[in-house]
Amino acid sequence: MSGRRIGVYVCQCGGNISDHVSVEDVVAAVQEEPDVVVARTAMFTCSDATQQEIIKDIEEQKLDGIVVASCSPKLHTFTFREMSKRAGLNPYEYTQVNIREQCSWTHTDDKAGATEKAARLVRAGIARTRLTEPLEPIVVQTVPRVVVIGGGIAGLRAALGSAEIGLPVFLVEKGARLGGWVGEFDGMYPHGKNGRQLMNALVARVRRHPGIKVFLNAEVVEKSGSFGNYEVAIRVKRDSAETQAETVAETVRVQAGSVIVATGFDAYPVSDGEFGYGLEGVLTLPEFKRLVDAAAGPLEFDGRPVRSIVYIYCVGSRQPEGNQYCSRYCCTAAVHASLLVTARGAQSGGEEGRAAGGAVRPRAAGGPPRQYHLYRDIRSYGKYELLYNESREKGALYLRFPDDDPPVVERAAAAGAGGSGYRLTVTTRDLLTGGEELTIPADLVVLVTGMVPRENDELVKVLKLPVGNDGFFNEIHPKLRPVETVVDGVFICGACQSPKNSAEAVTSGLAAVTQSAAMLKRGFAELDPLIAVVDAEKCEWCGACLAACPYEAPRQVEVDGKAVAFIDKATCKGCGGCVPVCPTDAIDLQGYTDAQIRAMIAGLLQELTLCRA
Amino acid sequence: MSTLVDPGLAAAVGTHEEFDAAACMNCGVCTAVCPMGIEVLPRRLFRYVLLGMEEQVLQETESVYSCLLCKMCEVNCPAGVHIAENVRSLRHHLNRKVFGL
Repeated sequence: MSGRRIGVYVCQCGGNISDHVSVEDVVAAVQEEPDVVVARTAMFTCSDATQQEIIKDIEEQKLDGIVVASCSPKLHTFTFREMSKRAGLNPYEYTQVNIREQCSWTHTDDKAGATEKAARLVRAGIARTRLTEPLEPIVVQTVPRVVVIGGGIAGLRAALGSAEIGLPVFLVEKGARLGGWVGEFDGMYPHGKNGRQLMNALVARVRRHPGIKVFLNAEVVEKSGSFGNYEVAIRVKRDSAETQAETVAETVRVQAGSVIVATGFDAYPVSDGEFGYGLEGVLTLPEFKRLVDAAAGPLEFDGRPVRSIVYIYCVGSRQPEGNQYCSRYCCTAAVHASLLVTARGAQSGGEEGRAAGGAVRPRAAGGPPRQYHLYRDIRSYGKYELLYNESREKGALYLRFPDDDPPVVERAAAAGAGGSGYRLTVTTRDLLTGGEELTIPADLVVLVTGMVPRENDELVKVLKLPVGNDGFFNEIHPKLRPVETVVDGVFICGACQSPKNSAEAVTSGLAAVTQSAAMLKRGFAELDPLIAVVDAEKCEWCGACLAACPYEAPRQVEVDGKAVAFIDKATCKGCGGCVPVCPTDAIDLQGYTDAQIRAMIAGLLQELTLCRA
Repeated sequence: MSTLVDPGLAAAVGTHEEFDAAACMNCGVCTAVCPMGIEVLPRRLFRYVLLGMEEQVLQETESVYSCLLCKMCEVNCPAGVHIAENVRSLRHHLNRKVFGL
């Protein structure tokens, strides 16, 4: 008997729980437990009305601990912590017990068994609540400065966005220039704007802004300190004054509250021989885009007018093995580039003579090149569908090839396919024409290549960035927390996270600005106090906790002349990894103490009599 | 046997009136609503023309003349392809090519 006053609420979840668990029996089984003052069921505990009732109970019955038996803590822990706060109860005096995902939904065939299990789980929750203590959130001061890594469109926009709301920025770019991929191209979708001009203007604004310090040829090599107050080491390579060839490195250390990672992507590296790559006239999409950008008038390749172009989609994307993801930008980028070619118009070549075999017929001189798009699925999503429509209306032909029978690119026979000097032929099956096999003569074959994650092993190690199976960086939640990572204060945006087009990269860059600024502008951040603490009397500093910690939170300090471990509050994530390895049992996890866990186990295992009241 | 793609056929078919079916997205509405149940018309046949598969076009001469030109397909076409005009162009071409008219 601890003299606590605990309220227990067992949720029906509108039948989700009560169809398979007798909630009345659960209440009957636990209402006589010591310290339980109130025990009742509710149709929806999370509803405003029931929350109001609980608040009334807390105030009238002077409750000092709450147990809600409902769904997963992932769903409603914060709901009921907030409710506790409103009732003047410390939010860490609240315990959530999961009797839906871990009970009613998993035992739909055994109501009696599910009811008993629910009663035991609730009793364990009560046992934990008897031993809860009021805890206060950890408050850390934040340094109002931002490190942005990557000088492409996402990084530049994030840097400018942060600087414009008054947060000074250190912009770190690995290469020798700012502007990234977008700065290399002319006309780009969505709006046909010239990427080079767009980026020149953006770079000029970044350069002019007094709040942004740019480091070129620079890399982040170290990050220390804790959340809200990181020290970031930037290694900058500079050409030495004496000899141009020799470069010297200098390390600059800066203090920052957050880090925004915008390291971008690489183009899918096509292997030699993949879809004929290596043959003259076979280009990747970026190579082709440069060719189109460089052409003043009608498209030429190797000094000859281009009469026929074949595009092969999904090169390096949506493969059964390897890159399984869709690279998202490439369908629209290829369609857009092909429209640019159409707009460049006529090639200067005149009438094509009709070949002896009768394969190629004469056609009017001065038309734009024939364009054949060999695709698996065209994913010109959203308003980019209009580009696809325009392309078809302007005469481009789309042929769908089978996933398991991709097109074959070959050098044309000496006389050229159809005897008219085409460099290449592409043989493919067209599912839209009943799977007929077709041979298309071509001057150019464009491999519509996707995006791959950029190699960034060093940065991943330094920032402890979470990397997904596909090699891109992972956010916490794709819908609700799309730019935050599991490392507090480290944000991701742009194509380092997943394939994105330039508009989407900017959107996520600005989202990262908002998230980072929300934290830095406040001046402080609150962290969950559910962390490990060391009992300095018991600790004999052996370093076992440090070795077990994935976040390097423990460090050696001196207390009354004795070396002991101290766990940094802002770095500790409360994973509990250090607790069992401590040989002197000196570490406890606040909110999940050994005593609480033992009490919960005892509560689970104790004799239970289920009797309907 | 692989068929060599021939960009000239559509132009040849379209000498009388322009042959234009590039906007077709192969949804199949035309086939579904055809009162004559002509399966090959128009979507596959038009692709034969666009891709220059003349042999396959000639094999379907019968189908081309079975069309009632009722325009049921045309009014239902979500891509706005002028199907009936294209069928007329095709007939014009076949008149010359097959029947020597």
